Amino acid sequence: MYAKKGYELVKEFASGEKGQLQPFNEDLVNQVIDQCAQHYLELQGLIRKMQGENVDVRETRNADHHGALIHHLALIRNKRCLMAYVYNRAEIIRNLAWKVGLELLELPEEIQEKISHSEKNYYGKHSAALQSYMADVGIDLNVDMVPPKDPYIKVRVLDDMGEGILLSDKTANLARHSMHFLKRTDAEQYIARGLMEELTG
Amino acid sequence: MATGSGEESTSAIMDDYETLISTTDVELLKRAWRNEKAAPEILQYESSLVQRIKEQIELAEQNVEMFEADSIDPLTVSLYQMDLDRTQFLLRSYLRVRLQKIEEYLFHILKTDEYLNRLSKQEQMFARRCTDDLGNHLDETVLSKLPDNYQSILKQSITSEEDDMVPVPRLDTFIICKAKQYLSSIDFEPEYSTEITEMERDLLTFVCYKFIKRPLEKGKIDLV
Amino acid sequence: MANYYDIDDILAEEEFVPVVFHNAVNGVKIDESTERGYVEQGSKAELPFWLARELHLRHAVSMRVPACFNQKTRLEMQADAACVDLRSRCPYFYEFGCKLAPLCDKTIGLLLSYSFRIRYKEVLYKAHTIAFGAATKFLALLTKEETNLYEAAQSSMVAFKRWRMGGPRLQRASILGRKRKATE
Repeated sequence: MYAKKGYELVKEFASGEKGQLQPFNEDLVNQVIDQCAQHYLELQGLIRKMQGENVDVRETRNADHHGALIHHLALIRNKRCLMAYVYNRAEIIRNLAWKVGLELLELPEEIQEKISHSEKNYYGKHSAALQSYMADVGIDLNVDMVPPKDPYIKVRVLDDMGEGILLSDKTANLARHSMHFLKRTDAEQYIARGLMEELTG
Repeated sequence: MATGSGEESTSAIMDDYETLISTTDVELLKRAWRNEKAAPEILQYESSLVQRIKEQIELAEQNVEMFEADSIDPLTVSLYQMDLDRTQFLLRSYLRVRLQKIEEYLFHILKTDEYLNRLSKQEQMFARRCTDDLGNHLDETVLSKLPDNYQSILKQSITSEEDDMVPVPRLDTFIICKAKQYLSSIDFEPEYSTEITEMERDLLTFVCYKFIKRPLEKGKIDLV
Repeated sequence: MANYYDIDDILAEEEFVPVVFHNAVNGVKIDESTERGYVEQGSKAELPFWLARELHLRHAVSMRVPACFNQKTRLEMQADAACVDLRSRCPYFYEFGCKLAPLCDKTIGLLLSYSFRIRYKEVLYKAHTIAFGAATKFLALLTKEETNLYEAAQSSMVAFKRWRMGGPRLQRASILGRKRKATE
């Protein structure tokens, strides 16, 4: 009665670590949608009862009216919970495009498993919109995420990335554990994806 | 700003270089960037400033290449390169902050002319695409499965009197700012005259954003 | 609604409020234990704030002050505000109080500002002086809002220290979770 399922959905989202995704809970989402349908049926039933009794539906404030009102309020509460769940997940997904990469392939398996089909589509479309803007303006926006200090940084490769990788000023063999002096803007994306780490000192 | 070394043949190039990366424009960009980062709403797009900066970056890049080809002392070259990097960072960050604000207030921006007009042409296209994408996603996952009369993305139900589902920037958040000149009551909106009547020049002030919106738009205040 | 999608706003409105019904209600099971779908005029119930508010504004119910803002809490606050376990009483103490006060009892506002002033000092002090991990007992008493402030202060401290001491500035994207051990 109190949109408990909707509340469960929002609580589940909030209980995760901030900015982290949990698997899309299709089951619970469907339960909340079903609850909405239930409320709508009850709501309509009460309205029909009032019409049957020749009562002015818009103006009368009897017990049936209040019943219908409560069902309506529970319905929009559930709607709000559903919308907030999907909307806030969409925000995290947009962050993926900014912080990790613009291609689905660049997203690690663990992340891909947690997002729904529609979310994957949304991610793809959003990346495309970003790329289109960057092309229009002629500037890459997903590099240079921290203020520049040194143009070159020392890195250690964490995952085997292959030989003869083409960078902006040279080619390199990025084998695991190898260390290199790379241009900051080249290394940025690899570090963000956990493929390399920055070394200091 | 690094100054050139003593050699005759290069000092002329150095002078030209300095006028190319005009410190005034970079400072304007820094100001626009800081304001945009601190303001809760999206501000007016500085289109001619961005255009000038882009041109200056391009010229600076060409000059750095020329220096490298002419075997100018590498320390000097890298100083110019770092300066160039910093300007590029500012420009990228400025555009990024704006895109992120657009993403956050998509529906509101598109339905409010005042905000839509603050966007560049490319940003407007981006905003429209984003709204379509997000709208379709929400529709597919939730809205189309809800009962009739409850499927709107802007109104909770058809009985809602206004668009009650649209997130709106909070203009009553507090920000820190500094006035560039002494401001008196005529600089502020009359409706806030009981709250704020003057501001000293260069004094760091902690104030509610909406009170200083007007002088900010006129360039009399900088956000910190 | 400026905060329509805000998760904390939604959760804050889930807090329960005692109400008295002015009108009878048909077709709704307010009380899970009863079979009847009918609520008598004058009956009492506990409703979540989002529902209680709408019914209150339409004069269908009257809201009463919930336990977390009652006399007992006020006395404890006066005794030692920093030690009161607000999280178990009401994790959205301030947000909920702000929404409730204009509709139900304006003195709640005074209670909120008094409590916040004292507790905020403690939050700031502990965030800047105590190493992370040592303040767990204190953290367990904090509301959501206070916890956010504490974490913001802590992360500024960490960022400041990192800036002073140098060290890697480019990091693995936080959304990818904690570092996994390199597989052999």
